Amino acid sequence: MSAYAAFVRSGFLTSFAYRNDVWANIFGKLVQVFARVAIWLAVYAGATMVDGISIQDMITYALLGGVVMGATRYDRIVRHVGNALKTGDVAIWLLKPVHYPLYLLAIEAGASAYTFLLAVVPTIVIVALVYGMYPPTSLFHGVIFIAFCALSFLIHFLCAAIFGILAFWLMTVFSLEWLLQSLITLLSGMLIPFWFFPEPFGTIAAHQPLAWLVYYPSAVWLGRFDIPQTLFYFGLGLAWTVLLAFVLALLWRRAANRITVQGG
Amino acid sequence: MRHQLSILPLLVRMYVKSQMEYRGAFWLDRLAQILSYGAVLLGMWILLQKFDLLGGWNWPELALLFSFQLLAYALGASVSFTQLRDLEDLVRLGTLDALLTKPINTWAYLIFSGLNVGYAGHIALAIPVLIWALMAAGVQWSLGTVLFFAGSLLSATLVTGAVITMIGATAMIWVRSNHLFSIFFGFWELTRYPINIFPTGIQAVLLTVVPLGYISAVPVAVLLGKPVPLLGDFAGLAALLAGPIIALLAVAHWRYALSRYQGAGG
Repeated sequence: MSAYAAFVRSGFLTSFAYRNDVWANIFGKLVQVFARVAIWLAVYAGATMVDGISIQDMITYALLGGVVMGATRYDRIVRHVGNALKTGDVAIWLLKPVHYPLYLLAIEAGASAYTFLLAVVPTIVIVALVYGMYPPTSLFHGVIFIAFCALSFLIHFLCAAIFGILAFWLMTVFSLEWLLQSLITLLSGMLIPFWFFPEPFGTIAAHQPLAWLVYYPSAVWLGRFDIPQTLFYFGLGLAWTVLLAFVLALLWRRAANRITVQGG
Repeated sequence: MRHQLSILPLLVRMYVKSQMEYRGAFWLDRLAQILSYGAVLLGMWILLQKFDLLGGWNWPELALLFSFQLLAYALGASVSFTQLRDLEDLVRLGTLDALLTKPINTWAYLIFSGLNVGYAGHIALAIPVLIWALMAAGVQWSLGTVLFFAGSLLSATLVTGAVITMIGATAMIWVRSNHLFSIFFGFWELTRYPINIFPTGIQAVLLTVVPLGYISAVPVAVLLGKPVPLLGDFAGLAALLAGPIIALLAVAHWRYALSRYQGAGG
């Protein structure tokens, strides 16, 4: 267990070595979040309420999207696996008394914590000061929001790791990364919350695992669900997490069996 | 000079051949990129189903903006992005020193030996959407608008290539340039939307320091007869001149960076 704690630390400190990247990262995120808020202001065009959702709700939603999606990076995870596969490093992980997917999780947790503290938090504070942001609807919603964030990180990681490991069969991570990007763009709720989707697509989108990346954490903060509903969706998210973890473990076992390292 | 020029098609042919070695993977990558940009476009469509207008632009107009931006970006980036993103590695590893001794212009060698045909996916998505949007958005066609469309697309391509070249070339001075690319792509995403929806500060940046406004929002707004903030009546001329001017700046910057290059250890 202590090995994984060391990997978390190493993920954190590795990010720390590239401070220029962090400044660029903060700046890039700031521009993105400002842009998303600008888009909502533009489509509302002065209207205060659309389908029972106020413009202030949508600004808060855009900011929360930045919070939950700002730190974890699926592309980093997918490329990590891709590089290990390309260089043959993956063989080394088979020799070590370490479970490779858990190692990936630990490294990503460290790197995410770093980006969260140094890039996401300052960005959100700045934008919230400019445009204003709603607090969570109640103490319950605020507390469970944190649990939903943890779920968001786990599902984000699991999906990215599954896509990464698929490279053992496809031998290219490039297309896998872009494919996952297209799914996340549309199905995480990052761009548009599902309540604005035409039905039945909204309902379908709200039940697939990527919905827990942005849609549920943000909707819970905004109090879109009462307490029993919130707990139900938390349970459903947890079930998806378990299922995805199972799929990842299975894929990794198969991948480890079929691996051929060329050269070295 | 003529000898140098005759080498360029050969470099391109060799690179394309190497890319096509894994034909299945190549087309799978293109498909994934089409799906990814398609998802963004679909997202815009869903938004416009609900709201009708975004900053005064309707769905065909936004589709025109999106496809114009994607096409100009793909054309400009194919002669700059991957090549100059990797310049950082060439500098760090010292491989650039070997390129400098080749009896050919370094920039030309770098660009044409890595001419990225991978942008075929972007172009395959952009062109049909662009054609549909040009018909649906109700552009008032005349000889003037046809010439403006062609000229501004060329200018937008030049802006893309020039800005990317300038960012990449800084690697010869600072060794690192990739963090500048992440800032670039932050702003680049904004160019899918009309420039008038952003706060004045961002508009000003997009028209000056990071001149990506000229790769889509300015030319398309002029084409559709929509007002352009800050530039006003000057917008049409600015859209046409931005490309050549920024390209000249990029040439000067490239030469300066090359003159400052000292190698990065080794």
